[in-house]
Amino acid sequence: MSELLEVRGLSVAYGAIEAVRDVSFTVHAGQIVSLIGSNGAGKTTILRTISGLLRPKAGEILFQGTPIHALPAHTVLGMGIAQCPEGRRLFARMTVEENLQLGAYVRRDDGIQADIDKVYDLFPVLGERRHNKAGLFSGGEQQMLAIGRALMCKPRLLMLDEPSMGLSPIMTQRIFDTVAELRDLGTTVLLVEQNALAALALSDQAYVIDLGRTTLHGTGHELLADSRVRAAYLGEEVA
Amino acid sequence: MNRLWTVLSGLGFAVAAMMPWVTFALNDGNYPAKSTLQFFDAPFLLTGFRLHLLVIGLLVVLFTFLPLPGRPRILRAAGWAGGLISLVNGAYITFKGGGLGAITAADGKVAFAAFVGVAAGALLIWSGAKAAPGIEFSWPERPSRWLAYLALLVSFAGLLLFVAAILTSGGGITNPYSAGQFMSFLAMAAGLIAALGATGVLRWIGELSEQHRYFSLLVMLGCALGLPFTSAGNEYWMTVAVNIGVYAATAIGLNIVVGLAGLLDLGYVAFMGIGAFVAANLSGAAAAAFDIHLPFIFAAIAAALVAGVFGAIVGSPTLRVRGDYLAIVTMAFGEIFVRSSQNNIGGLTGGSNAIPGIPPLELFGTGFQESISIGGYKLAGGVLYYVLIVLLVALVMGVFANLKDSRIGRAWIAIREDEDAARAMGIQTGRAKILAFLIGATLAGLAGAVFAHKTSSVSYESFRFTESVTLLAAVILGGMGTIPGAVLGASLLFVLPETLREFQDYRLMLFGLALVLIMRFRPQGLVADRHRRAELTTVDDPVEVAAR
Repeated sequence: MSELLEVRGLSVAYGAIEAVRDVSFTVHAGQIVSLIGSNGAGKTTILRTISGLLRPKAGEILFQGTPIHALPAHTVLGMGIAQCPEGRRLFARMTVEENLQLGAYVRRDDGIQADIDKVYDLFPVLGERRHNKAGLFSGGEQQMLAIGRALMCKPRLLMLDEPSMGLSPIMTQRIFDTVAELRDLGTTVLLVEQNALAALALSDQAYVIDLGRTTLHGTGHELLADSRVRAAYLGEEVA
Repeated sequence: MNRLWTVLSGLGFAVAAMMPWVTFALNDGNYPAKSTLQFFDAPFLLTGFRLHLLVIGLLVVLFTFLPLPGRPRILRAAGWAGGLISLVNGAYITFKGGGLGAITAADGKVAFAAFVGVAAGALLIWSGAKAAPGIEFSWPERPSRWLAYLALLVSFAGLLLFVAAILTSGGGITNPYSAGQFMSFLAMAAGLIAALGATGVLRWIGELSEQHRYFSLLVMLGCALGLPFTSAGNEYWMTVAVNIGVYAATAIGLNIVVGLAGLLDLGYVAFMGIGAFVAANLSGAAAAAFDIHLPFIFAAIAAALVAGVFGAIVGSPTLRVRGDYLAIVTMAFGEIFVRSSQNNIGGLTGGSNAIPGIPPLELFGTGFQESISIGGYKLAGGVLYYVLIVLLVALVMGVFANLKDSRIGRAWIAIREDEDAARAMGIQTGRAKILAFLIGATLAGLAGAVFAHKTSSVSYESFRFTESVTLLAAVILGGMGTIPGAVLGASLLFVLPETLREFQDYRLMLFGLALVLIMRFRPQGLVADRHRRAELTTVDDPVEVAAR
């Protein structure tokens, strides 16, 4: 099992405030790896740092063995790391198709239209409404489009930031089923979630982030069974 | 029953056209000659009447019984046109002449008759809306090539004559009533456009020109070059048209920065100024800082390059500041430019003396300001400048259209919509934004070079904050992100002050009022861009409706 992404001793600060402290974790190819934790734990900061949108204060990020923490965002994206940002951040006034085209902005090959059709196969509802404005879609459909847009750059690693945000439990389940499907098709996924139950059930590996540090690590099922996790994130009394 | 009302209002227009009040303004100037018919002899002598008011009235009666497509909207458009013509003329007699009881400025009879026309207009606006819709009619979606070509030729030629008629409708600045005549012609023109829009023919022509893009561009260029051959082909209107062209080219450049990339630039006219001063200094003017006389083409390139470099410099803060703060930075730059050129910094701008005596352009020994004759047809002076500016605007349009549909164009639009999301898509936002400033400034510099030669004297006074704001207003008024919008906006903002000289004191107030009204009733501008339209029409948008 090869290591696709390795984060070692990562610290990120906003001015004097340190949001991430000495975080280390590994993402193996072909897996779904989750970072779970409460609001403000530093999960989104970690993803933005991997994407090249933020610079770390200390530590390193290796992608397929190459350090990427000093590279600009577009280079990181070109290497195959796509981020589906928190709150989806679609181009609400553009159509579905235009959003997908922008997802392929860093690509210069001519297989873009074929890949757009693949996204429509994955999410038929997007294909039916390809010329509608993205802002008119429901939350779940917008999340599908956000994932589709991230897939358009043919990522080796897909990073999803809170895909369940604002979605109904049924829609959350559908999105997570799709994430599992994507893994089975060969895309590695780094998932950041507050919805620990759904995320852990899906994950091959998971890390608990608390106040900017990794506190627990294990497979999804191990953490689901862990009493500390159950107490902190699933609202159960400690036995 | 409703038909009765529309017929009545049509007859109202006809009657209003016959009444003595309309003879006012028609006895003077050269435009009236065209609209004057002598119908009756004494004692029922009518020396003239508003021909178009009568025509509108008769057409309204005809349309009441003719099942035209879009009939209610056509009738309403006629109502607005006739009503406004009567209002403008009535108000004009009342305020410019001897009060309500005046026919002409000289004597006093009854201007009350104007109210017949106003009332007929109101009646028609009210009753026209309820008229039975006409027959369903759809324009052929994909007509044969030749039919399409013919339709495009006819409509663009019509447009050319229409523009020439609007320009000359005031009868020139020597006519004391030019503003009133111009406004009543404008009312009719607006009604005509609205009525044509109701029949769907405008949309059809628009689609045809999309389908036959290169042909329509060619025809448009030909028509633009045909303006010197129309009634507007005199030196005065050629000069106005060149000024419009300079500002239209600059406005298209600004449209890249503001319309596509969404970066508010309040000091943009400075780039045009930089281009003008560079060209002035390199073209052998007596007061120039350098004693060289480059051929125009090189001076223009130098002007564009220098302006582009300054564009990149001014654009560089965009990496750090956004939105309102960027607007303030650009405004400060504009002010720095004005102050330094006022103080003749480095001896490059002539300060308050300006740089006079820039030699006019020459081609094979013919000065661009001279009149030329083609095949025995003598063309007015300044025609060559007009041709040059038409070609320049065409070039700038080509640059804009290609950029808009390109990779960088998509990046700009993405930045405008959501800069952070654009970065997440791998767009190098900093580079793209500086490039927008650089290209926009280059185009403005090029326009400035033509401006310098045409006006023959360049002063800092032409590039102040008001000019930047006017340019921005042109872009917004016309429609952000579109080429016809920028051209239309520049034309309106630079033609209206010419034809409405009489209201010069109220000019800025009227501009302000017009902008407020446009923003309230047509926020996407007169010519809407597809994206902008999607963005700003919220009525059928469930997301927006839910958010209210």
